[in-house]
Amino acid sequence: MAVRGAAPAPAVAAKGDRIVASPLAKRIAADRGVDLAAVKGSGPNGRIVKVDVESAGTAAPAPAAAAKPAAAAALAAPVPDFGIPFEAEKLGNVRKVIARRLTEAKQTIPHIYLTVDVRLDALLKLRGELNKALEADGIKLSVNDLLIKALAKALVRVPKCNVSFAGEELRKYSRADISVAVAAPSGLITPIIVDAATKAVAQISTEMKALADKAREGKLQPHEYQGGTASLSNLGMFGIKQFDAVINPPQAMILAVGAGEQRPHVVDGALAVATVMSVTGSFDHRAIDGADGAQLMQAFKSLVENPLGLLA
Amino acid sequence: MSQQYDVIVLGSGPGGYVAAIRCAQLGLKTAIVERENLGGICLNWGCIPTKALLRSAEVLHQMKHAADYGLAADNIRADLDAVVKRSRGVAKQLNQGVTHLMKKNKIAVHMGVGTLKGGGKLEVAGDKGSETLSARHIIVATGARARDLPFAKADGKRIWTYRHAMTPTEMPGKLLVIGSGAIGIEFASFYNDMGAEVTVVEMMDRVVPVEDADVSAFLEKALKKQGMTIMTGAGVESLDVGAGGVKARIKSKDGKITEGNYSHVIVAVGIVPNTENIGLEALGVAAERGIIAIDGYGRTNVPGIWAIGDVTPGPWLAHKASHEGVTAAEAIAQELGNRDVHPHAMDKRNIPGCTYCHPQVASVGLTEAKAREAGYEVKAGTFPFIGNGKAIALGEAEGFIKTVFDAKTGELLGAHMVGAEVTELIQGYVVGKTLETTEAELMATVFPHPTLSEMLHESVLAAYGRALHI
Repeated sequence: MAVRGAAPAPAVAAKGDRIVASPLAKRIAADRGVDLAAVKGSGPNGRIVKVDVESAGTAAPAPAAAAKPAAAAALAAPVPDFGIPFEAEKLGNVRKVIARRLTEAKQTIPHIYLTVDVRLDALLKLRGELNKALEADGIKLSVNDLLIKALAKALVRVPKCNVSFAGEELRKYSRADISVAVAAPSGLITPIIVDAATKAVAQISTEMKALADKAREGKLQPHEYQGGTASLSNLGMFGIKQFDAVINPPQAMILAVGAGEQRPHVVDGALAVATVMSVTGSFDHRAIDGADGAQLMQAFKSLVENPLGLLA
Repeated sequence: MSQQYDVIVLGSGPGGYVAAIRCAQLGLKTAIVERENLGGICLNWGCIPTKALLRSAEVLHQMKHAADYGLAADNIRADLDAVVKRSRGVAKQLNQGVTHLMKKNKIAVHMGVGTLKGGGKLEVAGDKGSETLSARHIIVATGARARDLPFAKADGKRIWTYRHAMTPTEMPGKLLVIGSGAIGIEFASFYNDMGAEVTVVEMMDRVVPVEDADVSAFLEKALKKQGMTIMTGAGVESLDVGAGGVKARIKSKDGKITEGNYSHVIVAVGIVPNTENIGLEALGVAAERGIIAIDGYGRTNVPGIWAIGDVTPGPWLAHKASHEGVTAAEAIAQELGNRDVHPHAMDKRNIPGCTYCHPQVASVGLTEAKAREAGYEVKAGTFPFIGNGKAIALGEAEGFIKTVFDAKTGELLGAHMVGAEVTELIQGYVVGKTLETTEAELMATVFPHPTLSEMLHESVLAAYGRALHI
């Protein structure tokens, strides 16, 4: 299975387990705890060079966890053979990285989950109007595009949640880069909308379409999916009502978005029908207190329910 | 009527002719336009003929020192005309070589002055009238020429540029060289060895100012020992050409003006890109002070127009131009649908530089000072020629090799050498640097004994306190 598809210069997968990297790239990767198996090489014939590792470095998980890239197999207990017929599929590099990072996240990050119901009617109405107005430009905003913007703005309003827990220090980010979960054939990947809070929704939409296409074709460059200050995962399109997502380290929060659905809803003391979605934020409790996380959820809810704030 | 090509290369120097060959290799229908000599300045009026001159000077120097080797040579004298004749012969041989390469690669050669006309058209004004060529891509590779002093134009009689200095009809008695970059210092070295009394004036505070400060200091001492007068931090205020020579007013470091009389002056104060009057302005090709702005592959801001070599930002070196020519050719092929080429933008920190004075100077990457400026924690090592057996056997025990590493990652940041044959040694480090070596691979490499190259090893070991022979 190819890592990034049929890019002109396949880095790792096409050559089996051998990782082609420069001596300097190997040393910097070891120092920073970057898993070379997950790095795409930009050098001649896909060789991994210094710059590739350095751009991957920003997304480097905690050094201790990543120093043992071969540990993926050790993450799982041996599976006994009960004689049930099966087909063994060798894990691709993306799957290995997912396994390692998410295990690391669940084992090392104390998660706290905060769920809130958000009314969508105003946002849906605004989206309809915007799409009509932008039709001539060929732009069609998705609900998710608006939610990316809302999360980024909420993070700017509540900077305590836009952080990384880095052992001896807390990194407070000065801009919100949103990693957006995309289901690619090789597995989950999270391309990034950089500085989403200051970007126009139309631009976010255009970038997201391009990134999602690249993700599905396996053509994302490392800098396009490594980094990010928080993540957004949306399973609403599958009708999932609510779920708790696993934090994408070294980030400290991820927002899990459920389906927008018509529900009985109390408006001004009377029962009415409204379009409502449940969203759950997972927070790294080492870095973020419950009250701060709650503030972020509140800010997000307020931005979605009063969506004109997303346009300013 | 216009002849249609995939690519036209304007200028046939080491950038242009190499670009044309690579284009042809990639199956593109290619033409090259040249106004004067195939091969450009480099092999007709630059790199190559000067190396021929310097070789003569070197042999002369060795003959004069024959006794050091237990040999006797009497009545040693130089025949300037014969030395120049040999140099011109070398240039001619290589010029014919390029002619042959164009033919072999089926590249159409159009002799004449080319002007870009827009829309992929290029007009060539030759001896027999003008013709119009057209192509989807045009590579501008027109090179550069010597910069004149504002107050004294080179006349070819008393005031020379490199071009006059290469074909002297008389031997300068007392020579003033203005500028101590590669060109200035090479001619200073040549004429000094040939017997002229040479003074070098450099505006910066040291000779070969782009090199590592230790190299500059060593070279200055060596040149002075050979009898040259070196004035750094000094500027020439005026040159007055008279019947018997040139009177120069030179302002020295402390502001004092001294006057000197020289038989000849060589002006080597930099170069000017040849980007005027070839139609670039009319097409809106972006340039700053004549230097064309490009991306890492040679693209200008105007689609279909590319630029390589001395018309683009420096360093202004032949091998940099050639490399850019290959990169641009591959990027063009890619734009035209070739999926098998994967051009890479050049990393300028991996471009070596060589100066063929005596002793020679060669370097690649960051100097120690530049590395510190860039914020690196530096580990530097130096190994002297006197510690190398081969150097002593050659009677060339002067010089050193210095390496600069990033203490954190072991990245080889730069290497700087001065001494015999270092221009042939530098490539060892350049290969390593391009492959992103660290100190560990260099230490683990076996170097042949007895060679000067052992010093490449020792310098690395020295940076880590492990040199074996000092």
